[in-house]
Amino acid sequence: MLKLRTLLREWGKNLNLIIKHPYFGFVVFGALLLVVLLLRMGGLVQIGVVNAVVLTMIYSIIALGFSLLLGFGGLASLGTAGLVGLGTFVMGYFSGILNWPLLPTLALAFGIAIVVGLIVGFISLRIEGMYLAIITLGLAEILRAFFISYDKFTGGFSGRSFRNFTIFNQPVSTEAVYVTITVVFVLAMIATINIIKSPTGRALLAMKNSDSAAQSLGISLMKYRLLAFIISTVFAVLGGILYIMYIKFSYAPQWNLAFSLEILAAVIVGGAQSIFGIILGVFLIYGLNLAVLNNIPFFVQNPALIVIFNGALIVLVVMFYPGGLIRLIQTSHFKLKLFLQKLKHRMKVRRYGEDD
Amino acid sequence: MAKMIDALRIRLCLKRIETLQARKTFLENLLALQLNRIDMAKAKQERQCRQQTDISLAHTAIAAGEANGYVTAEHDRRLEQLKQRYLLRYRALRETYKRKLAKVLSERQAEIKEQRERAFQALERRKSTALAALEARFAPDADHLELRKTAYAELKAKAETDLALRLQGITARSDRAREKVSARMIKKIEGIERSLLAREQATAALKDKLPKSDYGIPEDVLLRIENLTMRFGGLVAVDDLSFDVKQGEIFGLIGPNGAGKTTVFNCITKFYRPAAGRMYFRKNPVEVIRLNDYPVHNIIRQGIVRTFQNVELVWELPVIDNLLVAAHTLFRTGFFGQLIHTRKLKQEEAVLRKKATDILAMLGLLPYAHMIPFGLPYGILKKIELARTLMVDPRMIILDEPAAGLNDAETRDLARIIRTIRDQNQTTIFLVEHDMGLVMDVCDTICAISFGKKLALGTPREIQADKAVRDAYLGEE
Ligand SMILES: Nc1ncnc2c1ncn2[C@@H]1O[C@H](COP(=O)(O)OP(=O)(O)OP(=O)(O)O)[C@@H](O)[C@H]1O
Ligand SMILES: [Mg+2]
Repeated sequence: MLKLRTLLREWGKNLNLIIKHPYFGFVVFGALLLVVLLLRMGGLVQIGVVNAVVLTMIYSIIALGFSLLLGFGGLASLGTAGLVGLGTFVMGYFSGILNWPLLPTLALAFGIAIVVGLIVGFISLRIEGMYLAIITLGLAEILRAFFISYDKFTGGFSGRSFRNFTIFNQPVSTEAVYVTITVVFVLAMIATINIIKSPTGRALLAMKNSDSAAQSLGISLMKYRLLAFIISTVFAVLGGILYIMYIKFSYAPQWNLAFSLEILAAVIVGGAQSIFGIILGVFLIYGLNLAVLNNIPFFVQNPALIVIFNGALIVLVVMFYPGGLIRLIQTSHFKLKLFLQKLKHRMKVRRYGEDD
Repeated sequence: MAKMIDALRIRLCLKRIETLQARKTFLENLLALQLNRIDMAKAKQERQCRQQTDISLAHTAIAAGEANGYVTAEHDRRLEQLKQRYLLRYRALRETYKRKLAKVLSERQAEIKEQRERAFQALERRKSTALAALEARFAPDADHLELRKTAYAELKAKAETDLALRLQGITARSDRAREKVSARMIKKIEGIERSLLAREQATAALKDKLPKSDYGIPEDVLLRIENLTMRFGGLVAVDDLSFDVKQGEIFGLIGPNGAGKTTVFNCITKFYRPAAGRMYFRKNPVEVIRLNDYPVHNIIRQGIVRTFQNVELVWELPVIDNLLVAAHTLFRTGFFGQLIHTRKLKQEEAVLRKKATDILAMLGLLPYAHMIPFGLPYGILKKIELARTLMVDPRMIILDEPAAGLNDAETRDLARIIRTIRDQNQTTIFLVEHDMGLVMDVCDTICAISFGKKLALGTPREIQADKAVRDAYLGEE
């Protein structure tokens, strides 16, 4: 009896360790997202919900890379859209049209991402703040102009659909793409938390707080600025690749400033330094209208109100919760705890009188 | 040509020796940490074992009236619980009657009070029965007491031999674990020591052939500043300044506001590129480097670490992580290792966290270790910055106004800490400070400057007596 109890207790402790492990939340979250796919296959949810989930995952990956840049490195960039577009077209054209095998295509896409990251990183050593943001915006606009004018690859103004993806010579089903995206999403979250909780993440934060203090502690600005930009460009291109595999259609003019700003808004609305905060932000900006608002008759009749709703949400959050919505959740959790404690105390006083 | 190759070889050798030494200290620290963990696990297992034995003997012990530790503890715990419970009941009753009394008219109050007395008495009775029951549960069985006693003695003897056996097992297991870990680590450490020795011999053989590369700097000088000049546009902030900082001393740089003290620091740590002048630093007993040749983020690797005039911490990270930021150069795991959090990274983190904890303990900052520095008192923040410099075991610490904003007690504490740091690790300390009390108290040598020019250099007594210094300070006031 006693033995069983100690055994259980030990087991409970191990379980506690697993639950407390940072990966646990991510893996469970990924598993829940897979349940959505199962529900869809069983016909229990609408396609809109699935699309909302997938887009939230893809854009969350992009936003995670962006948050490492902005929330940790303190570096501003408005060039996200160009890189996502690049990812879609490289993957679409080389894998979907030319039927290149997967690995060379990925190598090409990430190679380009790294080169772009290096270029922007080097620029960031000379130019900072707003000006850097404007330069990245310029680069993204160049990419967009390039997509529009090279319509042989991209379809220009009419967009282009890419259908025949094969992975290791197998045609891929939508379900397989969904599972792939989920797995990549979970891995991206794990990679992000690993970077945050490692010397690199701390170096980025130190750089954000004070360049000179960081340098005096042996942190090379060049190395970490380049690294931050490369991580974010790689994540953006990865997002583009997953996007084209699921949506199968890419429209060059879509990869514009508005897209970059929406990613920025998502990161700020959710909370730039919390992984689940970023996902929440992305869901509010992209997923909410697809999954929820589009099913409410009022909003279906007045689609313009959806945009207004999103805009108002951003304004409210930035005004009242500069730390992002996740901060709201965290503080309200804390406040609830405090309130319960007070309530308990009040009940006690009522029943037993004040402490002697 | 041959000489150049030799020089290159010696440089490479020295570099390798440095990394090997770093690896050796890392392994030694890791070994200590792992052994400590094994010991803690052992202590915990032993405790659990003893507890289990106590629990298993409890019933017989009670019956035999031979209260063992567990039984008495359990009895006291329950007694305390019981008393608490009845106290609460009593208070609840009192509260109810208070309310009742407030409601009724004065003629009925006597009646209610009587009721209250009865209720209190009933509660008192219930409490005494509960107490009696508790005592009975823990009282020895009256009949066959002798028999029970022998039975208990037998059982206890058996349990104790059992316990001894289990404890032996635990010790044996932990010893084996210790041995395994130590054997593995010591083998690695010995390997490193062997290659260290070989390299040291190689450098020693080569060194005699080379011309001395210490720029003619005496053995006991750690930092030499020669004709340092720094201009901002037309303003000459530092003007042809020269001085030596000796190994192991506390060196003070003083001067009125705007004299150029911070600028000197910024030149040494390469935040500014001096207009003229050379700066030499003895990196280790045999090697002197020219600081002019190193970029700003490599200064810490040469053994110089600084603090800032205004506190510069990472405000989002807990205090202990701030110390880990300072240990940035000590991490050897590359980016991809960090991406997947390899075992090596975890070991490095553990070792450095232990080091950070030790430093925080030394400075009395342990209670703040897991707090966010934002909003902590200024004196504490200054101390955290000081703690941060200690993470890399520097040869020289540069402090820019460490006592600014501290009260008298904190300043005295700071003086003590500065001395301790110097005495414990033979670290040289180079500080700028306006608090003359502190400077005269801790410094061995002081250099006074004004408008970037040297006024005087000497012991605190000499500086105090110096006319030029007095004029500079009095002239300002
Ligand atoms: N980056 C800079 N650009 C231009 N002038 C500077 C710069 N840094 C310092 N100065 C000037 O150089 C002179 C010396 O400044 P410094 O900060 O070294 O003085 P200080 O001795 O540290 O003074 P304090 O005791 O006030 O800290 C001042 O006149 C200051 O205005
Ligand atoms: Mg100064």
